[in-house]
Amino acid sequence: MITQNNFWQHNKAVLMFALVALTMPLWFPLIGGYSGLDTKIMIFCIFVVGFDILLGFTGYLSFGHAAFFGISAYVTGIMLKSFSDNIIPAIIVAVAAATLVALIIGLLTLKRTGIYFSILTLAFAEMFDSMAMSMLQRWTGGENGLTGMPTPMLFDLKMQGDTVFYFCAISAIILFYLAKRIERSPVGLMMKAIKCNQTRLEYTGINARKYKLLAFVLSAMYAAIAGALMVVYEPFVGHEFLGWHQSGEVVIMSVIGGVGTLVGPMLGAAFMLYFENVMSVDLGEQWLLVLGVIFMAVVIFMPGGFMEAIARLKKRFFTTIDGE
Amino acid sequence: MDMTLNAFTLSVLTGLQLGSIYVLIALGLTLIFGTLGVVNFAHGALYLIAIYLAVSINNALGFGLALILVPPILFVIGVLLERGLIQRFYNRPHTDQILVTFGLAIVLQELLKWIFGANNIPFAIPSWGNGIIMLHDYLPFLEGFVVYPKWRMILVVVAIVTVSAVFALLHLTRFGLVIRAGMRDAEMLQFLGVNINRRFMIVFGLGAMIAGIAGVFGGPVTQVSPEVGMRLLVPSFLIVVIGGMGSLGGAVLAGILIGMAQSFTAPYIYLNTIIIYLITVIILLVRPRGLLGAKGVFE
Repeated sequence: MITQNNFWQHNKAVLMFALVALTMPLWFPLIGGYSGLDTKIMIFCIFVVGFDILLGFTGYLSFGHAAFFGISAYVTGIMLKSFSDNIIPAIIVAVAAATLVALIIGLLTLKRTGIYFSILTLAFAEMFDSMAMSMLQRWTGGENGLTGMPTPMLFDLKMQGDTVFYFCAISAIILFYLAKRIERSPVGLMMKAIKCNQTRLEYTGINARKYKLLAFVLSAMYAAIAGALMVVYEPFVGHEFLGWHQSGEVVIMSVIGGVGTLVGPMLGAAFMLYFENVMSVDLGEQWLLVLGVIFMAVVIFMPGGFMEAIARLKKRFFTTIDGE
Repeated sequence: MDMTLNAFTLSVLTGLQLGSIYVLIALGLTLIFGTLGVVNFAHGALYLIAIYLAVSINNALGFGLALILVPPILFVIGVLLERGLIQRFYNRPHTDQILVTFGLAIVLQELLKWIFGANNIPFAIPSWGNGIIMLHDYLPFLEGFVVYPKWRMILVVVAIVTVSAVFALLHLTRFGLVIRAGMRDAEMLQFLGVNINRRFMIVFGLGAMIAGIAGVFGGPVTQVSPEVGMRLLVPSFLIVVIGGMGSLGGAVLAGILIGMAQSFTAPYIYLNTIIIYLITVIILLVRPRGLLGAKGVFE
């Protein structure tokens, strides 16, 4: 009885996400979303959930996660093109490559405070961006991007249309579940302790750097999976995958949604992509300006993002009931 | 490396010129960071405001007015930003400071893009700064004809003058003494009854003003388009890190170092694109607090 209760309690968010995600092709067109955008939303849900393991749990703000997203996308593209059109080996190799890069960058950037970390992650991502445009041009296609991939296959299944959506949605559900598990685990607790008071944690004899590095590499792996899925969704890789715009986008999504809540960043991702692709029809070129203003307003007045807004509304709603 | 004396001299000058823009932007960044403890992601956007103002005033009213108007306008913008926005964030986590300045950078960049368009706006150099300098007239050891664009030399001179002025302000005046004390220990200064807030405001304005000077003279060299701000911000950040965060001398040293490194690696395209990151990694491994970084500052 108790375990059943716990199961429901622990996995309520995951089950609700699964419900919303899997029914998305049914209701998303009703609010103006086009087919394909839902797939992109699922992919970015994966990206931001992983990003929240780093920013939300440990409080370390990375401005370079586009590096892992982009590297993985390029490797996936190259694998599909020259090794096999099966996505499984491509994704595995791509994520492995990005993880290795993350390990090296993490060891270098986590040496000192969070300020250094933000600056240096930004710089390393820019380095990969300029490398993709110069010395790696032969493989990345430089300015034109990487094109000419075959239709990706999941063994005998063609990855097109709804198949891609469900593949991405199921991946997102599984990865969200795993992130929830990490959050509840002792490791997750350590990560959150880093955000609260790193010095105090270290005085208790715990090696905080180990947990920071773990959070960083885990979030990079999520970014890498998202990057690989982007190529499965649309067989093209441009160098903007590696640029600071991409890193910044993920930061904006996370903050608007509500850092540290896992669900919030996914809301943020959905909002931003919907805003960028559907609502921007009325705003034209200025959509990013409007988004920037919204982002600043959230940072200044509502640092908890959408999740804080929801919590405030809930509180108001329930206090009224209590008052009567 | 097989290099003639002529080529060497030209590379040194190019290094100085590249370094000059970096130093001017990094100087403001590190000044603001050292005193206010704020990592200003919007500093590139301040430079952006400066070049757009400079090019507009220059094309309409002439360079003289641009030179007189732009730095003070940037000072005022800096002061307003500090009062209106940044000061709300002194007591919030560093992450929030980075986020809000990042948001500001996007808003400013998109605003300027909206007003002026995404394309490069030609920035005409005033007639007195146009043309070339005959280097062989001044440097007798050079062989034959060696010339260098005059404007780029002027940029180097401007950087030297600006850096000297900032150092004089900080080391020869009472105001500078208080600021330097504030960089060491702001809390103690407040205990002693010094109004540190007003000085913080002025320092932020000063940082913006230096970006303004950089914009007036750097605009014709860096070009005038919306992505210039972010393009310069990343190397400038790295220069602040390499020099040691909050160290003005370090920023100057690192700026020149990076300028030289980029200039001397120019023939080797691949090395050239990553040299700045390579230097950063080496510094981080060998001397994590930066070239002239003080011990215990944000370690």
